[in-house]
Amino acid sequence: MRIDYKLNDKFDMGLVIPAFLLFCIGLAAIYSSTLHNPHATGNFNKQLLFGIASVILFFVTYSLPTNIFRTLAVPSYIFSLLLLMVVLIIGRRVSGAKAWLGMAGFGFQPSELAKLGTVMILAAFLSRKNSAIDSFKDILIAVLLGFIPIILVLAEPDLGSSFVFIALIIVMLFWKGISLFGLFVVLSPAILAVSSLFGIYYFISGLVLVIISLFIFRKDIFFSASIFAINLAVGFFTSYMLMALRQHQQTRIRSFINPSADPLGAGYNAIQAKVAIGSGGLWGKGFLAGSQTQLQFIPEQWTDFIYCVIGEEFGFFGTIITLGLFLYLFIRVLKLACTAKNEFLSLTLIGILSIYFIHFIVNVGMVVGIMPVIGIPLPFVSYGGSSLIVSMLMLGIAANVYRTRKNYT
Amino acid sequence: MKTDSFLSVSRESIAYFVIIASFALLGFRLIQMQIIEHSAYDEKAANNAIKGIEQIPLRGVFYDRNMNVLVNNTPAYTVRITPAEYDTTLNKLLEVVLDVEPGYIDKVLFGNRTFSKFVPIRIKRGIDFKAVSWLEENTASLPGVDLVVEMQRGYPAGIRGSHMFGYSKEISPALLEKEKNYYKPGDLIGSSGVEKAYEKILRGKKGYTYVLVDSRRKEIGRFKNGAEDAPSIKGNDLVLGIDSDVQRVAEQELSGKNGSAVAIVPKTGEILAYASAPDYNLGAFSYSTSKDYLQKLNTDPEKPFFNRVNSSPKPPGSTFKIMEAIAALNMGVIDTNYIIVCRGGQVFGGRFFKCDAVHGPLNVIHAIEHSCDVFFYNLIYKIGMDNWTEYARRFGFGQYTHIDIGEESPGFIPTGASYEKIYGENWPRSIMASLGIGQGEVNVTPIQLAQYVALLANDGVTYTPHIVKGYLTNDSSRKFIPFSYKEINIGISKKIFSIAKEGMFLVVNGNGTAAASKSADVQIAGKTGTAQNPHGKDHALFIGFAPADNPQIAVAVIIENVGFGATWAAPIAKKMIEAYLLKDKLKKQEKNTEKIISNNLIGAVIAH
Repeated sequence: MRIDYKLNDKFDMGLVIPAFLLFCIGLAAIYSSTLHNPHATGNFNKQLLFGIASVILFFVTYSLPTNIFRTLAVPSYIFSLLLLMVVLIIGRRVSGAKAWLGMAGFGFQPSELAKLGTVMILAAFLSRKNSAIDSFKDILIAVLLGFIPIILVLAEPDLGSSFVFIALIIVMLFWKGISLFGLFVVLSPAILAVSSLFGIYYFISGLVLVIISLFIFRKDIFFSASIFAINLAVGFFTSYMLMALRQHQQTRIRSFINPSADPLGAGYNAIQAKVAIGSGGLWGKGFLAGSQTQLQFIPEQWTDFIYCVIGEEFGFFGTIITLGLFLYLFIRVLKLACTAKNEFLSLTLIGILSIYFIHFIVNVGMVVGIMPVIGIPLPFVSYGGSSLIVSMLMLGIAANVYRTRKNYT
Repeated sequence: MKTDSFLSVSRESIAYFVIIASFALLGFRLIQMQIIEHSAYDEKAANNAIKGIEQIPLRGVFYDRNMNVLVNNTPAYTVRITPAEYDTTLNKLLEVVLDVEPGYIDKVLFGNRTFSKFVPIRIKRGIDFKAVSWLEENTASLPGVDLVVEMQRGYPAGIRGSHMFGYSKEISPALLEKEKNYYKPGDLIGSSGVEKAYEKILRGKKGYTYVLVDSRRKEIGRFKNGAEDAPSIKGNDLVLGIDSDVQRVAEQELSGKNGSAVAIVPKTGEILAYASAPDYNLGAFSYSTSKDYLQKLNTDPEKPFFNRVNSSPKPPGSTFKIMEAIAALNMGVIDTNYIIVCRGGQVFGGRFFKCDAVHGPLNVIHAIEHSCDVFFYNLIYKIGMDNWTEYARRFGFGQYTHIDIGEESPGFIPTGASYEKIYGENWPRSIMASLGIGQGEVNVTPIQLAQYVALLANDGVTYTPHIVKGYLTNDSSRKFIPFSYKEINIGISKKIFSIAKEGMFLVVNGNGTAAASKSADVQIAGKTGTAQNPHGKDHALFIGFAPADNPQIAVAVIIENVGFGATWAAPIAKKMIEAYLLKDKLKKQEKNTEKIISNNLIGAVIAH
């Protein structure tokens, strides 16, 4: 075999360049949004520091032997669950959620790491030799593996992260090859859970759909009844959870259903975010010249609402370029997942992609007003060490897979 | 690898499809927001960041008929508190300094709270000099407390005019609900008198300066360096019919009494003087009143806030006799040859009605001169109840005058029907005898009396009584724009008026009831009245005009609970008339007196 000495053969520029550009756009937006905020002026420098740390971590991950990831799956899952439990006991509470571990002056969110841990354990479980995806037992175990971290992050409470977990479980089961009926069994409780948030009528309509679907699938009566029971239980559990949620999270969910009902309260951020983006126009108001950003109409814009800064100051030009970079990156990871040399790596990459994608779609969807306001960062762009480091760690895994794609094992 | 299919499509394709569809959705949404609906969002962003600060315009000034300034604007200090920077433990101290009741600051801060704690809230206007200097000295230890200069009303002419000028106060929530197009909470609005009636002319137009504010509404700079600012437009100045000298005399003469004095130009209805006593000091009252003064005014049993001129109906007493004389003459039921012999009283319906004296035989002129009750007891029976009511109403009694300021009472003129209601069809006609001398159920307000005497003076023609003549334009020409008022013409011939006026002339200049108030320099015609008051001493009334042959001024005076009209009311009317008609002469006299005094002083100094 001829050895290709071109850099691109071992190092995937198609992964690294979009991520790097997104990070740079994020830095500019962080600089702009923190310029006039005395509590956040250090954030630009801190983000640079996180950037350097994450690049180091990226290269470490990149250089590891590819086989080690499978070995690390169980320890990293257990380690991240332990961290999630620790954070509930000694965690720092930031804006209502006990989600932060203090480490040498920096805060770390274990939930970010747990997403990767869960992807790896699911990939390992689903790709084991005698796995049978359409067996009820396998599906149940996979869902349970994913549900443990969901319960732990909901206890913080971190609603946004729990969505990410739900999404990645479904995506990985789908990628493994679950049948339509299997997907229905997994997905219907999730859909019912969401519909119950909108009110009792949506919940009842969802239940009716479940019953109709069960008739269409024509499985035996006992099995169908138990699936229906699970659906019912999930729906009630969600309503119960909603009531157990903090006030600000409850009102955020309600304000998505009707954002103008309370323009100075929970709907405020959603409205101001849309105003920022819409007022940016085609070319934007210019760097450091966005009134919504510079006059701080959106609280903590450098974290979850960073896309507004891009939209306001760089306009449609900025937002569409950002979208393009994400699209390129996602397609690249998807291609890699399709061509990965074993099922474990393929599942890991699709899990990583689902983490990126759900963060991206919920975050951008939220600021353009087609998703509820759920606190979840934009990968590579938002300010925040945990998100950036874990994103780069996952990028390192993808780059690693690319590096060794031609090796035989 | 993943080649197995899902619903006959490869899972790979589904993944590609989901990703690309999501991006397409977001892309379309961005095109919609940033390109198609851009201008709507842009406007919202501008509204967010730019705040218009109201510039309250100067209120219009009041001039009297000789263009002396009656009411103007003077700078005064207002204390404000910015809640975000303020420490509420300072409340107690500030409440003492500002002379307000405990808990006042909390109440004001709560009542005016907004979602931003950076918007200053006005705590008290027009604070006194002592408080200003204390606040300025201690400004360093009073975070969030500041002083701004705002205009308040000044009264440079030395005229109180409390019920006439009126005052402004902070708009009430109920009124704000109705007028929210223009007013904001905390705005001042005319609340009584001319200030209320002419609010829309006086207030001018608010201006706006635009500033940039951040999301907490904290100001951080001018918008476009003030290029978009709209200056406020000053309110229009009003010209009143008031004559400062007459008004001053009226107020001085009423001081310490309860009553009203109104002077009016008979030909035009312009009010020269408008005084109601007791009154209050607008200068001490305007905008911020010391709690002691306000309490004193509110608990005063004489009710200084009560506008007696418009709203205190009293029996007109003998002043009504002129109306009756004119009614009888106009109906033709009597002429000047008609004689009644007064024997000091007469019996009607089994009741004896007395007269003040035994007047002997009198015609209508001398009956007025001597105010003979017996003559008018008989006259009302000749006129008849219904005609009496009709003529009283023709002279404006029993209905609103529609004077341009203030609330008004219509008074009360009884009718035959009103007695029927109480006593039945055969109501005792002896009641009419009382009405004949202006006693009993009949009630008239001082402003109605003023309109009545104007009608008498000008032979039955005048205009709706009014305080304000017109306004001045705001441009450099300062053109006077008069307001138009309704003409009143009661349609009775001059000849009949001249008979009544002859009697009125004799009241003062003959052997009549007000002979003591005869003026050496001007011929006054008038009629006294003494209205019986079941609750105490009689009310003293006088109506009159001068000069008798060419009336320039008509006056109505009522002093409550003092006694005879001739003793108490007529001298006041005389002084008011002289103040108006002998203005130049009086001024000269004043100067001379000053000269004499100063000469004496010089003499005294030299002698010393």
